[in-house]
Amino acid sequence: MPIRRLIITVLIIAPILALLAFGFTRDAKYIHSPLLAKPAAPFNVTLFDGKKISLEDFRGKALFLNFWASWCAPCRTEAYDLEAAWRKVKDKNMIFLGVALQDSDQASKDFLKEFAVTYPNGKDESGKIAVDYGTWGIPESFFIDPQGRITYKHVGGIRAALVLSKLEEAAKSIASAQEGRGDYQGVR
Amino acid sequence: MVFPKLFVLYALLVLFRSSLFAATAPDIEERTREIASELRCVVCQNLSVADSPSEMAQQMRAIVREQVEAGRTTEQINDFFVSKYGEWVLLKPKTSGFSALLWILPYVVLVIGVIAALLFVRRIAARKKLAKDSTVPSPISDRTRSELLRQNNIEIPDIEDTTPRAELLRERSRLSTEWTELDFDYQSGKLSESDYQALKYEVEAKAAGVMQQLAAMPAKTVVPAMAKAARAKSAKDAPSPSRFRGWQMVTGGVFLLLFGLALGVMLTKSIRPRQGESDTMTGDFMTGTAPANSEASAALTEGKQAFSRQEFPKAIEAFKKVLATDPNNPEAHSYMGFILMQAGHGDGALMAFEKALSRAPNLPMALWGKGMVLYQDKKDFAGAREIFEKLLKLVPPGEERNEVAKVLAEIPTTGGAPKPNAGATPATMPSGQTISGKITVDPKLKDRIDPQAALFIIARPAAGAGGPPLAVKKIDHPTFPLNYSLGQENVMMQNTPFTGKINIIVRLDKDGNPTTRGAGDLAGEYKKNPANVGVMNADIVINQVMQ
Repeated sequence: MPIRRLIITVLIIAPILALLAFGFTRDAKYIHSPLLAKPAAPFNVTLFDGKKISLEDFRGKALFLNFWASWCAPCRTEAYDLEAAWRKVKDKNMIFLGVALQDSDQASKDFLKEFAVTYPNGKDESGKIAVDYGTWGIPESFFIDPQGRITYKHVGGIRAALVLSKLEEAAKSIASAQEGRGDYQGVR
Repeated sequence: MVFPKLFVLYALLVLFRSSLFAATAPDIEERTREIASELRCVVCQNLSVADSPSEMAQQMRAIVREQVEAGRTTEQINDFFVSKYGEWVLLKPKTSGFSALLWILPYVVLVIGVIAALLFVRRIAARKKLAKDSTVPSPISDRTRSELLRQNNIEIPDIEDTTPRAELLRERSRLSTEWTELDFDYQSGKLSESDYQALKYEVEAKAAGVMQQLAAMPAKTVVPAMAKAARAKSAKDAPSPSRFRGWQMVTGGVFLLLFGLALGVMLTKSIRPRQGESDTMTGDFMTGTAPANSEASAALTEGKQAFSRQEFPKAIEAFKKVLATDPNNPEAHSYMGFILMQAGHGDGALMAFEKALSRAPNLPMALWGKGMVLYQDKKDFAGAREIFEKLLKLVPPGEERNEVAKVLAEIPTTGGAPKPNAGATPATMPSGQTISGKITVDPKLKDRIDPQAALFIIARPAAGAGGPPLAVKKIDHPTFPLNYSLGQENVMMQNTPFTGKINIIVRLDKDGNPTTRGAGDLAGEYKKNPANVGVMNADIVINQVMQ
């Protein structure tokens, strides 16, 4: 009789404890992207120099797509790394594209000037590109293979070495099973 | 006649169109709101896209509206967002697949709960009925009861005897003990009337069955000695209700204690005060999203709260606690800076903000503090402008940014004092309340000067022993020989007069922290210490090396 009662009590309490433990060990804000190994959403973007480009223009090249904002501290932290990585691969069949989010033109241009960014950068005017890529924390970076498929996603600041290695994988169409994570700031 | 006809047609068309819009526009709005209210905002916690004021939610609402206008169904629109953010984005999880559990489980738990409650109520009711109804017949006769109670005469089988009769005899012995204890418990008040009646009925019913079966079996003699030993063992081994109750209580207590401990640990480790609007209250416990030191974090929160209530001594204590475990905590240094600023210690405040910025160069609060000290206290307008321009780039558009822009616009573009590391004597300082002179370095020690070191000029009252210095001045990256001046604006405690006889010492500190003396720091003092305030040639030679 007491053992039966004990078993019943444990059966009731254990799932509650398990549920609590599961909840406590998760970051409620973190959103796992369903976009890995999926085709990248097409987009058109106007660069800060006035040129218009689309995702189709990069077909056949490994693309590093970076969402950023001038007010985002982790974006400032990674800025020099990204430029350094770009300078290493710009003569290969690889391309970098920066997309500014929720930012004024002037602030974005000042940012690019401050960090001497030389790779193409444009602005997501309506926020549609950000939603199409499931963006929620910046900086966010996507690696897209020559066939237009997302091979890797990194939420938060990224280092040059990781950019280069993931870009090499993208060029070979090797998709990562998991996304990466660094210091990030929520979009507004 | 063609023109009036066309006019009528046009008028009808306009009327028709306006009535058409009147009917459809609210529909679109309503559907947009309905769909948006079921999508989770990706920026804020537990707010729908319809309710969130964030820019991202506005953009998502625009996309929902666009898709509604394009004639897409609610399901198609939801699927679009799920394809971008996963099922996380749905405030109502799907009713298929693994998510179906979330819908089913509450009902399953509810049904189980109702059944358990019904059973419990039924049991209680049955016990009450038993207690009230004195006419309930006993399942055994008075003779059987007295036989059962004659414990001393009960035949006890050999311990190795496993025949059915032996088993029945053991069971009879156990029931007899249980019955006696039940009576004892009832008489000593441990059992209520209803419980006693119910338990007694159970024991009697079992006993009746056992006695009946025993009566149908042939009797068997037992060796008295063996019987005695077996009886002793039986009495020891037989589980009694009271022993069970004790065991249950202990188990329950231990379980509750462990549960409480586990919950306490998880709660304190997993929940922390939100540091800002975009912060989450969960973290730390295996998610790695919290400050590394929870004790320091708690002290930091305590300090911030005390600061906001303007309880500065309490805030200082808390921030000191933070700095004891995390000496470079940028937030603690920043708050210390604000407190020092409030108390009128510009130099100390500047030092604190610089400490904060050495660890977190883009920390807005430290930049704000440093900018304000440079602007208002040091009158170093160029330095202040530089800081506020940097801050302007970091702060997102909004009230705070407007405030920064406002202060930046207020700072004069020309004039102001030179940068503090110039080390020159400000021309505006009243010479009667200052001590000034020249600081040089002994040529033998010139090679030991660390280019990153900071120079501290420290004044202590000649009369007082120990305690905080009367005044301190910090000069970053000094170049020698250096003209210095120490006056009222350098005193540590507000409203303390800079007068009387004062001992002047200087220290060239490698780590820039005036409270620590490291090996290799260089030092010197005014040879004619103590100096009278007003002395213009209190020259100092740095000629000592700290060990």
